[in-house]
Amino acid sequence: MIEQILYAIPFLLEGFYITLLVSTLTVVISLAAGLLLGIGLVYGPAPARLFVRIFSDTIRGIPILVLIFFVYYGLPAAGLDLSSFWAAVAALTLFKTAQVIEYVRGAIGSIPKGQGEAGMAIGLTFPQRLRYVIFPQAVRRFLPPWINGVTDAVKGSALVSLLGVTDLMHAINQVIGRTYEAMPLYVLGAVIYFAVNFALSALSRHLESRFAFIRD
Amino acid sequence: MTSNTERRDFLKLGAAGLAVAGLAGGAALSLSAQEAAAQSASDSRLREVLNRGKLLCGTGSTNAPWHFENDAGELVGMDITMGRILAKALFDDAQAVEFVLEDPAQRIPNVTTGKVDIAIQFMTMSGQRAQLVNFSRPYYVEGVALISSPKADNKTFADFEKLGSGARVSILQNVGAEEAVHEVLPEATVMQLDTQANVLQALDSRRVDAAAVDLSTVRWLVARNPDRYFDAGKQWRSMLYGAAMRQGDLDWLNFVNTAFSIAMFGHETALYDEAFKTYFGLEPPVRTPGFPTI
Repeated sequence: MIEQILYAIPFLLEGFYITLLVSTLTVVISLAAGLLLGIGLVYGPAPARLFVRIFSDTIRGIPILVLIFFVYYGLPAAGLDLSSFWAAVAALTLFKTAQVIEYVRGAIGSIPKGQGEAGMAIGLTFPQRLRYVIFPQAVRRFLPPWINGVTDAVKGSALVSLLGVTDLMHAINQVIGRTYEAMPLYVLGAVIYFAVNFALSALSRHLESRFAFIRD
Repeated sequence: MTSNTERRDFLKLGAAGLAVAGLAGGAALSLSAQEAAAQSASDSRLREVLNRGKLLCGTGSTNAPWHFENDAGELVGMDITMGRILAKALFDDAQAVEFVLEDPAQRIPNVTTGKVDIAIQFMTMSGQRAQLVNFSRPYYVEGVALISSPKADNKTFADFEKLGSGARVSILQNVGAEEAVHEVLPEATVMQLDTQANVLQALDSRRVDAAAVDLSTVRWLVARNPDRYFDAGKQWRSMLYGAAMRQGDLDWLNFVNTAFSIAMFGHETALYDEAFKTYFGLEPPVRTPGFPTI
């Protein structure tokens, strides 16, 4: 088995790079968009809240596979013809953004109302209340589900192979398709995915402890 | 000038006007016909491919001997060779082709939405599929065969027949997969799996006694791993493999058919013959001048 694993590693490097690239793009873009829309969902005016609510519920209600194929095959009809790589990234990002919106809503919503009212009582403005009272506490509630979502994004990136993008999983299948030695390659794939996600979990624990108390 | 003369002059003028109008109309009509002809030619995928300078060919990369990466990381296989044959016919350059990797489920959508010019990916020709895409002439006749382990006590088709309901056979998930196995082993237990690799993995893990896979795969695996795989000696069902193209473009379809026919039966069979020998271990038939057998 070791021999087959060593043979396969050089063929997986490019696919591994694509997996990391897809995961990073998905996580970074969805974090930025999700934070913005999530805050809009909690504090925005009624039309903005309605828009974000419809967006989030719609995207979360569609299976990610359907979303991937819709972006790839459906958007060209609307004049947006994305390559298979960018179509896959767009679909995964849309899906992840909807999740981040809900993490943000949950994190902010879990802070007792009294916290904001106390800030108001001592004369803090709305932006100050958010910056010094609400967000520092909400970040601690936001991090655990978000990091969990990041590991999901890494594993979910394997879906890009459905559009012919050669990520780690597709590269593994390419070697299996040549050698028909499935088990050593599945073991190798599991080890690589585990290594990445274990590192992320360790980072998560570090960040959680970093934000476990509010600094002066 | 009398009124008669005036009327004649008026009629002459009218006739001349009609003649001019007729000529102009005729010219306009003939121009439209030329434009229409030009439009028709430029609408064809053939013209688009020639203008682009390379062929976009949808295929896979995970199924030897059809489409897979060799030890050098190059995409090779019988489907890949058919793509190169087409590129050679188009540009006299077998390398003028970009292979667009796709999942088997993407073969028809990629063709119908124009993401690729053609899909060459071990595609079985069927009536249902032919309602959605145009198929080229077949370039291979595939069959189903049983592969087993040489070390197993039960490894031949006769052994599996004796086992009856005790025989276990893995096969790729597909419509009619169970029926395909029961056609030759009516009582066998069928295990349907998601990929060809897992169908064989079930055999390696001894979860099944035999795997029902493509005949070409059996030949490929037994030739390379005789100590691990055994041809159980049963093959059945013929399936035609053809390339898929978008419907409504006869120029492109005819071109592909012509290119394939020349590569299989005409004066440029070197690429096809070499691939046929390499990937199936078979000698291509001798082409005899005279009556066309294609």
